[in-house]
Amino acid sequence: MTDLHWLSAADAARAIATRKVSPVDLMKALLDRISRLDPKLNAFIRLDAEAAMSAAKAAETEIAAGRPRGQLHGVPVGIKDIIDVAGLPTTCHSKVLIDNIATADAVCVERLRGAGAIVLGKLSTHEFAIGGPSFDLPWPPARNPWNPDHHPGGSSSGSGAGLAAGMFPMALGSDTGGSVRNPASACGIVGLKPTYGLVSRRGVFPLSFTLDHVGPMTRTVADNALMLGVIAGHDPLDPGSAAAPEGHYAAGLERKVRGLRVGFIRHFHETDLPADPEVAAGLKEVADTLKSLGAEVRDIRLPSLGEFGAVNRVILQSEAWAIHGQWLRERPGDYGQLARRRLMAGAFMGAGDYVHANRRRLEMIASVEEALREVDVLLCASAMDPPCRIDDTAEVERTYPRQARTPFNVTGHPALAMMSGLSSGGLPLSVQFVSRYFAEATLYQVARAWERATGLDGKHAPI
Amino acid sequence: MDKATIELLARRAGLDKALAEHPEDVAAAAAQASGSVARMKAPADPRAEPWPPMKAGTGL
Repeated sequence: MTDLHWLSAADAARAIATRKVSPVDLMKALLDRISRLDPKLNAFIRLDAEAAMSAAKAAETEIAAGRPRGQLHGVPVGIKDIIDVAGLPTTCHSKVLIDNIATADAVCVERLRGAGAIVLGKLSTHEFAIGGPSFDLPWPPARNPWNPDHHPGGSSSGSGAGLAAGMFPMALGSDTGGSVRNPASACGIVGLKPTYGLVSRRGVFPLSFTLDHVGPMTRTVADNALMLGVIAGHDPLDPGSAAAPEGHYAAGLERKVRGLRVGFIRHFHETDLPADPEVAAGLKEVADTLKSLGAEVRDIRLPSLGEFGAVNRVILQSEAWAIHGQWLRERPGDYGQLARRRLMAGAFMGAGDYVHANRRRLEMIASVEEALREVDVLLCASAMDPPCRIDDTAEVERTYPRQARTPFNVTGHPALAMMSGLSSGGLPLSVQFVSRYFAEATLYQVARAWERATGLDGKHAPI
Repeated sequence: MDKATIELLARRAGLDKALAEHPEDVAAAAAQASGSVARMKAPADPRAEPWPPMKAGTGL
């Protein structure tokens, strides 16, 4: 049998439901692994071991008594520390909110608990989901399990690091400019930014109202679909929540991709931001593999990454300034330097810039919609480089914006990032798939085809 | 953006304390903002609506 710490969420849920695995034994195995690895990886800001173990014991009792709670009963989950968990601090990895105790669960956490999942604790993030890997905060930055000298991506950095290290099989992340998909890319896991509004943002500390998404992070495509099915759903108290039809996200997982039309956006990584050759080779390999499986692959053009990035930054930093302005005026020294710089930028933008950005956004939405009338799914780069050393500030600064994730925050289309292979240095390389609004099932179908063809779901960080 | 403009805008935004304690970060923030705004094209049509439009009677 697979080591308990590498069990997928789906396998763990099945094994627990059929009483082949005790949720208490699973919890013990994970807590033991966390205690050994987390001092090196810093995935957790706060581990809630006692409550998690007590919930595991309760799950065992309930299952033995024939009272299953839901499809994730007894399965542990980690929560990014900008998302509220009742009774625990939501610090956003910042001194600014160090004593901010949440009084209620965020809706996404409530839904996970309703399905029986067990909250393990709060995970590292870049400060306020924007700061970058920083060493001037109350907690150290998370590190990459594939090589702890390298960064794990962000801002959902603890989520990515903990999954890749086998500390938990599921985590919640948030994505405003790529923050689920960046750690998914750097840590070789599966991260989905769902369609805007599909998952409630209520109880999640905002960075940018227009661009914020909550997304599932897992080690396998099937787990991602399972987790999305639990957390998706209309929330009348979230003004951005979509009244979407109920999605059967896992329904097409094993469906073949023969005849599927795939649009390959080459200019993102060939001319807009020329990618590392190994990243480019990985993307070609994905396109060739899908072709060999019967998909029809053709080139697609969208506006340039430079344009998408500028619109994303103007909207994000304008809205973030509106959120953080008061604190930045009164206590700028309580922020780390990276977050302080990025959050103050909005103070130097005009009202007209913000309106322009939202007008350009409409044109960008139209361009992606037009592309998705020609094809069923888009294939493009996520990161242009393998993750660099975490202590190489200049290289972190250079490579962070070299990505193709922000376009789909601007347009709200669902986008999934996952591993395309490993670099010669043994670090994950990545690919991104994008589909029509609320067509997450198509994303999972393509992502699973790639995963199945390459066996990537069985590839783990050597830690 | 020159230094005087940065200071003027920072003070207007109430960032006096940041300007005194972290002047290099205020300058870096201003540079980021200028860069992003400069790279953003104006909409092709001056009558273009921003997104999302007001939709009366929906949502809340």
